[in-house]
Amino acid sequence: MSGDLRRWWPAALSTFVALWLAVLTLVVVRTEPWRSEHPGKESVDAGFARDMAVHHQQAVEMSFLVRDSTGDESVRRLAYDIINTQANQRGMLLARLDEWKLPKTSREPPMAWMGHEMDHAAHGGFRMPGMATDAQLDELREAEGKEAEVLYLQLMSAHHHGGVDMAKAAAEQAEDRELASLAEGMVSSQRSEITLMASMLKKRGANAG
Amino acid sequence: MGSKNKSKTADARRARIEEMRRADAARDRRHRIFAITAGLVILTATVGGGWLLFSAAEEEEQAKAAPVRGEKTWDELDRDHVEEDVDYPMTPAVGGKHNPVWANCDSEVYTKELKEENAVHSLEHGAVWISYNDKASAGDVKALTQRVERTTYTFISPVSGQSGPITLSAWGHQLTVEKASDARVGEFIDKYVQGEQTPEPGAACTGGVPA
Repeated sequence: MSGDLRRWWPAALSTFVALWLAVLTLVVVRTEPWRSEHPGKESVDAGFARDMAVHHQQAVEMSFLVRDSTGDESVRRLAYDIINTQANQRGMLLARLDEWKLPKTSREPPMAWMGHEMDHAAHGGFRMPGMATDAQLDELREAEGKEAEVLYLQLMSAHHHGGVDMAKAAAEQAEDRELASLAEGMVSSQRSEITLMASMLKKRGANAG
Repeated sequence: MGSKNKSKTADARRARIEEMRRADAARDRRHRIFAITAGLVILTATVGGGWLLFSAAEEEEQAKAAPVRGEKTWDELDRDHVEEDVDYPMTPAVGGKHNPVWANCDSEVYTKELKEENAVHSLEHGAVWISYNDKASAGDVKALTQRVERTTYTFISPVSGQSGPITLSAWGHQLTVEKASDARVGEFIDKYVQGEQTPEPGAACTGGVPA
């Protein structure tokens, strides 16, 4: 008997190991544990994607308003640029949320993902940094010509400052490399637009206000 | 005397050999039992653990795909743009033919009834419509209004013709609740704001009919 055992012992062992590996492979392939490694609902990545999509949407809205209010070529062109860039980027951000199967809304206040308490009073409640109020949008809607241009440039400068803060935080803290890279791009292009708008305001005898 | 000793020694040797063989066999048997038991334990743990992981992953997927408890759904809703009024089979309407102009739906608060034909277009753009009648308490209306004010792609309006106090509608989905504190309000919003049901993802909630 013991002689038999010694003979079939290696065969039995190898069969067992092979079976065990097969089961393991099946389990890993079916559960895809690497896939559940996408950013979570309250991660920096998801928070940035949600909040920046809303932030960008307002920049697009403001740009449409100014294009309807003035014939000035340089302001209309800047607005055209912002519309296209930010609308497209907003689409990219929303697509990441779809990819990660995360909701577009959150119970947390905006910017909670930035990891520090937002001063709600100073920032007017649930408003994101640099966002225009409804009253300011109405003002922009009703303004015409140079008045509209100046108001737009001032509102958009504040808007961009807020956007840069958000994008910088995401560039530094996001898990997803592509998202961090997109955020980095936002930081540099919005910074250069801030500089451009400062000079456009100066030409109109105004400042960022 | 000598042969007796010889046979005794032989016996003793045989006995010793027998004993060694028995010890050997016993040891082999112990080893075999140990190996088989260990093998079974490892296999069971792997299969069991794998099955647990598998069913947890399945559960998560299913939970994400599951409807909100108590919601009604409609399939194959028409999407045509029409100028005339539409007779919708449910109140508030959740889809079907609608007006070419959407109702503004980005955190928009309506205090007067709005045209369903515009609201339906907003649902097509991925917005969630929260509606109430006078069965809803003032406190609930205030809470829901505040929620809409800080949630993108939602809008709120009175709908006197609806049956329940508070209704949430998305394209093809509708939920009626008694109180604003119902946890399903949040679930519906999380699931359907710019959610998978949106026929026209990316479409605007501004630039339409204002409140």
